[in-house]
Amino acid sequence: MIEPLLRATIQKQIGSFHLEVELSAGPGVLLLFGPSGAGKTQTLNAIAGLSTPDAGEVVLNGKTLFCRGPEGPPVNLPARERQVGYVFQDYALFPHLTVEENIAFGLPPDVRHEAPERVLELVQTYQLDGLEQRRPLELSGGQQQRVALARALASNPQALLLDEPFSSLDAELRRELRRELRNFLRAAHIPVVLVTHDREDALALGDMVQVIDGGRCLAQGEPLQVLGQPGQGRVARLVGVENLLPLRVERCNSADGTMVCVGEGAPQGLRLEVPLADCREGEQVTVGLRASDIILAGEEPRHTSARNRLQGVVTRVEPRPPGYEVVLDCGGVPLCCRITGSSLTEMGIRPGQTLWAVFKASSCFLVQE
Amino acid sequence: MIWPALGLSLLVTVVATLLIAAIGLPLSLLLARARFRGRVVVETLVLLPLVLPPSVVGFYLLIALGRGSPLVEWLGINLLFTWQGAALASAVVGLPLMVQSARAAIAEVDPSVENAARTLGATELRVLWRVTLPLARRGILAGLLLGAARAISEFGATLMVAGSIPGRTQTMPLAIYDAVQNRQYDLANQMVLIMTALAFLCLWLVRQAEYSRRFSSASFLPFMPVRRSHD
Repeated sequence: MIEPLLRATIQKQIGSFHLEVELSAGPGVLLLFGPSGAGKTQTLNAIAGLSTPDAGEVVLNGKTLFCRGPEGPPVNLPARERQVGYVFQDYALFPHLTVEENIAFGLPPDVRHEAPERVLELVQTYQLDGLEQRRPLELSGGQQQRVALARALASNPQALLLDEPFSSLDAELRRELRRELRNFLRAAHIPVVLVTHDREDALALGDMVQVIDGGRCLAQGEPLQVLGQPGQGRVARLVGVENLLPLRVERCNSADGTMVCVGEGAPQGLRLEVPLADCREGEQVTVGLRASDIILAGEEPRHTSARNRLQGVVTRVEPRPPGYEVVLDCGGVPLCCRITGSSLTEMGIRPGQTLWAVFKASSCFLVQE
Repeated sequence: MIWPALGLSLLVTVVATLLIAAIGLPLSLLLARARFRGRVVVETLVLLPLVLPPSVVGFYLLIALGRGSPLVEWLGINLLFTWQGAALASAVVGLPLMVQSARAAIAEVDPSVENAARTLGATELRVLWRVTLPLARRGILAGLLLGAARAISEFGATLMVAGSIPGRTQTMPLAIYDAVQNRQYDLANQMVLIMTALAFLCLWLVRQAEYSRRFSSASFLPFMPVRRSHD
């Protein structure tokens, strides 16, 4: 296993809120995913040295930045000595300085004589040509983000922290900038910790993800696994799994590696085939299913390998950029499906219509409550 | 009678303004940023001259500077009935205006912008000089000019501490009072016009500090060039 470049354990009591997280990052991007008030920003502040934990340890490239507790002698380097770059939410650019002065601010005193070349290099890397003499307020949101990134990286930090880098941008710009930011972050070759509450940010930007809520880490792993098919109910709700269906195990089919689960109460019954798990027949389970994993069909699909084909009536169609959300009533159980605008138009989907929802057994996953 | 009084007024005002800056700026920083016991008490004490009659402020100063005070007994400095005493009285009366405005401006500076500077390796002194003070500059300058305007028109406390000795401690406001008492209305008219013009100038500069773009450049003082990354 590769030794993590940045390692932190942080405990802090803030009023009635207790923060207790442990993380390791790098090489690559570690995502801290969670709702607002989960303690994500507090975690970044503790790593950067802007707030002091009650106990814990922060180690970067083998150098102890902070230590309080049984791990070793007490250490608490001030923020200026930590060499940790920080891109703040809303960027916190210096409003009274030009783009050039903002970027040059963090250059260490001993390299200030070569500042013009270094600044020019960063201006070019981050596509800020022609904006050198502007003030932050005269820049677009995306440009401000690039200045903040250039400023943070100008001093060659050993780690980079980003707090909700897209929070002040609109949805379209977000998608565009995600790819750009990912390239910049990969090129930086330092451990990056990025805080977000947006699932798409997390899937697009993270190499690893850690889900945080209520000051605690709930789950960690690769983004697709943790955010795609979360195994815990709390995590599933946080990452916005659209369908969480309470079902009962009817029959295990170990030859196919699946089991059949049925809904309670409904007249004809909701009947799903899901991956086999360590469950007894008759046991109550919660099955998660992502809206984007469901295929809609106008008539009953035959000769398909998908194990689940449910008939339902459209009750609701709502725009969810970049696509649409279609809610089917399948025997009394609402089923959320996500489709593109083109599919919606081609199929002429409107409320009252009868459709078939098709999905593989492996798209379903069990969620522990 | 006009020119010695005007000269004294300007001298007293300049010295009072320097005192206000030297005491007011650190005090404003302290009150805006530090959390300590008795902060509200300190703030209220500083603001007190704003609402007390100038004669009361003058009376306190009389006691603080008079016979028996450490200043006289230990250091042998006597400020009573000198222009320096008048400058001190003017500073005490002008200080609250400076502190109110400057404290509010400093408190308004976004802490995350200061934190950004810290993560970029800036020492606390550099954060103060390159970030906090430039961003709060309009409020600080406006406060200083308001303090100066208050100092130039000081009457009551100055009279108590420095008296009204023509050519030595008699500033314009005191000279005007004298002129009216002696029914020298022509003289009073001229001095009143000059005072009005000076007060107008001060307030006009306050507005400039608050609104003008000229004061929003990168260095703390408008005439001090910032070291650009080119040189």
